[in-house]
Amino acid sequence: MKGNSGEVGIYFLNGENPNAPPIENFSDLISYAEKLPGVKLVKSTANGGELNPNQLNSDIKQNNLKKIVLAGDSPGFYKTLFGKAMAAAGNDPEDVVVASFREHGAITADETDRAKAVLNCAVSNVPFEIAAVPDEVEVNPDTLVIGGGIAGIQASLEIADANKKVYLVERTGTIGGHMAMFDKTFPTLDCAACILTPKMVEVGQHPNIELMSYCEVKGVSGGPGNYKVRILKKARKVNIATCIGCGTCAEKCPGKAPSEFDAGTTMRKAIYIPFPQAVPNKYLVDAESCTYIQSGGKKCGLCMKVCPVPDCINLDEKDEEIEVTVGNIIAATGFKVFDAKRAEQFGYGKFPNVVTSLEFERLVNAAGPTGGFITSRTQDKKGNWVFSAGGDEPKSVALIHCIGSRDENYNKYCSRVCCMYSLKLAHLIKEKIPEADVHEYYIDMRAFGKGYEEFYERIKSEGVHLVRGRTAKVEEANGRLLVRSEDITADKLLEQEVDMVVLAVGLEPREDAGETAKMLDISVSEDGWYVEANSNTGPVDTFTGGIYVTGLCQGPKDIPDTVAQASAAASRVLQSISNGKIKKSIKDLPLSTIEAKVKELSTREGGAS
Amino acid sequence: MSERKRVDPNLMKEVKHYGAGDWNACFHCGNCTATCPLTEQDSLFPRKGIRTMQMGLKDKLAGSVEPWMCYYCGDCSTTCPRDANPGEIMMSLRRYLTSVYDWTGLSGKLYKSKALHIMVVTIIFFTIIAAFLIFARVPDLNSAEVSNYLSEMGASVPLNKFAPPDLISLLDHIQLIVIGLFLLTNIFNMYNKVILKDKTVKIPLWLYIKEIGAAFWNFISQWKFSKCERKTYWLSHWLIMSSYIIMFSFIIFFLGWFQTDKIHPISHPQRWLGYYVTFGLIFACVYYFIGRFRKKEQIFKFSHHSDWIFIFLLFMIAVTGILIHISRISGMVNMTYYMYALHLAFEVPMVFTFVAFSKWSHLAYRPFAIYLSNLKKSAKARMAKT
Repeated sequence: MKGNSGEVGIYFLNGENPNAPPIENFSDLISYAEKLPGVKLVKSTANGGELNPNQLNSDIKQNNLKKIVLAGDSPGFYKTLFGKAMAAAGNDPEDVVVASFREHGAITADETDRAKAVLNCAVSNVPFEIAAVPDEVEVNPDTLVIGGGIAGIQASLEIADANKKVYLVERTGTIGGHMAMFDKTFPTLDCAACILTPKMVEVGQHPNIELMSYCEVKGVSGGPGNYKVRILKKARKVNIATCIGCGTCAEKCPGKAPSEFDAGTTMRKAIYIPFPQAVPNKYLVDAESCTYIQSGGKKCGLCMKVCPVPDCINLDEKDEEIEVTVGNIIAATGFKVFDAKRAEQFGYGKFPNVVTSLEFERLVNAAGPTGGFITSRTQDKKGNWVFSAGGDEPKSVALIHCIGSRDENYNKYCSRVCCMYSLKLAHLIKEKIPEADVHEYYIDMRAFGKGYEEFYERIKSEGVHLVRGRTAKVEEANGRLLVRSEDITADKLLEQEVDMVVLAVGLEPREDAGETAKMLDISVSEDGWYVEANSNTGPVDTFTGGIYVTGLCQGPKDIPDTVAQASAAASRVLQSISNGKIKKSIKDLPLSTIEAKVKELSTREGGAS
Repeated sequence: MSERKRVDPNLMKEVKHYGAGDWNACFHCGNCTATCPLTEQDSLFPRKGIRTMQMGLKDKLAGSVEPWMCYYCGDCSTTCPRDANPGEIMMSLRRYLTSVYDWTGLSGKLYKSKALHIMVVTIIFFTIIAAFLIFARVPDLNSAEVSNYLSEMGASVPLNKFAPPDLISLLDHIQLIVIGLFLLTNIFNMYNKVILKDKTVKIPLWLYIKEIGAAFWNFISQWKFSKCERKTYWLSHWLIMSSYIIMFSFIIFFLGWFQTDKIHPISHPQRWLGYYVTFGLIFACVYYFIGRFRKKEQIFKFSHHSDWIFIFLLFMIAVTGILIHISRISGMVNMTYYMYALHLAFEVPMVFTFVAFSKWSHLAYRPFAIYLSNLKKSAKARMAKT
């Protein structure tokens, strides 16, 4: 058999390839590699040694190597180089095997055992997928979906429509998520609510979906096929079953807080429905802004008095915890937008008419703070800067891309949606105020999806000034805003006076994404997004059996991609339910089991040849 | 337009020797240029400089004055989305340009090799010490001549008998002429690359005279630097520069007035100017030293060996200078001689390695670059009118 007679060379390439995992106990891994059967040479370029073809060639000849294992090189950047060196030494260039740690789940620093297993398989010519096969167990046919945004909605509907039970847990008072806040979708310019709300209603009415709004998952125990999930039912203080949604309570309620749905551009009452199309379309009480609760029950309590339904509102209601048992869990926990205040140079929070794209999205929406009129913020009687329908229309607007994205100071990654939604917003401004000057500042225009490039061309033809060059700062001048950038294609320093600046804020993992990941026992990438088992072949799986990731929590993506991914996660769940069995977690498989399996397979193979 | 530009694919590699940074990181977003308070429509930097370098346009880079327009406040680097450190690139380009102007090639060697620079400084240092040991004669305090001299001066240390100002002044002038010749020829080289080789602009003679005033004013005040947002940088830079200039003119032009055995009253300008200069140099050196050591502020995050050697020598010159003064006042005769020898042993390598070939030369190049850039701007504006 090839490579089992002391002729294997192992090259560790962690230093060469930044995508390789940062294995913590590297020296342990190296000594393990040296002890593997047939290994003659172990070299590490972890300290940045340059790969030199001549050196490789002499390595191969000196040690009479017949096979080379490239450890940590994912997805095989250097395979060609080593293949050539092998061919030059008179060997088969195909005898270069990649031991990809990342591909097989050795992603975080503490996964040395997994890295060892992967290495063992590669040295012994046994595919990892064959050596590392977890046992199967029976699966509970119920499913938990965490998060009620478009990803959670889509996944829930797919499973429920296949006649399987779904628990959909949503943290806020309504499902809908970020998509419900958007005015239009790109590139089709469909009304976002018109697509989303029918789906929301379907979720609310579906006999197979148990919608648990205003609830949070607090703990997960058990294993694949049989997870016990503790769910906190936060006190809504309004009885969902009896509330008729008349609104009398909110009319009288004195407590106020910024509306989450309007991205803080309007105020809502302490007892409120998040937005008119909310599902469930029932009131809830926000304890933080409720006078009664904040005063310990001494003041107010008006809502309980005016409510026409007896015993519907109970401000003294307490949180309770329930437990459900499910076979599979889909995490669709979503994202938060970048806090624009962190990038001080753009003046968000300092200048009232520097707004985030999410705020602007609400501003252009017909159900937004001005009924859909684009106006600058003006001071009200109390001196607060607010959007009002009577405000001045901005004559010129600047849209600045990549706020908090593609920036080493904040997030290195591209948030993927900002270019397109900024183009969409530019279009909406032109549509509502045709004479307005719209200036858009971008680093690179990433119009990558189906119909996106065409959309970009269309916006260009609408007379939007597209400037290649990142804005460096926004200042105030002559009562207007001064946007400073370099137009790198025209070699010009631009100082553009505008009335309003829209910051295309990027997308970030939620603050508690890490805690949720710990609860679900799934990995989190350096950026904080959930890690899928394999970006090519397992885009919704995790290394924990029965747990899937979908939507933004796995990484920035647009609505079409999110919906597609949600359907994919649902299909994985349905697959296991249909089989009645599910594989246990690959990460629970001990190294010794894999080693034994490798030994068994390689001796059997060796005997045959 | 038909002018052919030669592309040097190794230019980036070459410039890398002059500083730190992964300059391929730059994705040309223009953030640095738009952040910079000094950049102007006709002279955009730092991004264009990085582009020129990345494209290997060696001649264009050699003829560009933009690196000298930057005073390095570091704002571009702190906000750079790629951590490409444009501020340090500008600094490295200044080092590179210094070596480009220098026809002897010594500058590049000193910049590229820390060992060489330290070695040259050390050799000169010990040569001076040796020269003192061999040639200096310690005056006999008991001799009639010396004691008469001392009582006449009202002094207790006959330093000028140990190191006669006339002789030192002569040596100073020789040093000035030698180093000055190198510096002047290098400046001419710069003028050649920036103005003479640029065929797109013709500068009438009267413009040269007209622009001198503005250039001189900027030199004295460092007015351009004061436009940067952080004023402490301008202040510390101005302190070190003004102190140096005053000290320089004392030594070169007024050594006889400056180096006296007679102890003047404190109100005498020789004393308080001397104190100002010493304070300015020591304060600035300590400020830079702490900054470079702590690496907290952007501009101090990367230090080239020339930066360290420069601060060290300058600091030692200032410290030994004030120690000469103190030991002379307190009548410590031998201590005065030792300090004087050390003072010169630090001063000569400083002048020799830095003035024409390294960091110090920016004292000449930068104002000259600003002058040339203004010339070009005015000339272009005139051409645009006609």
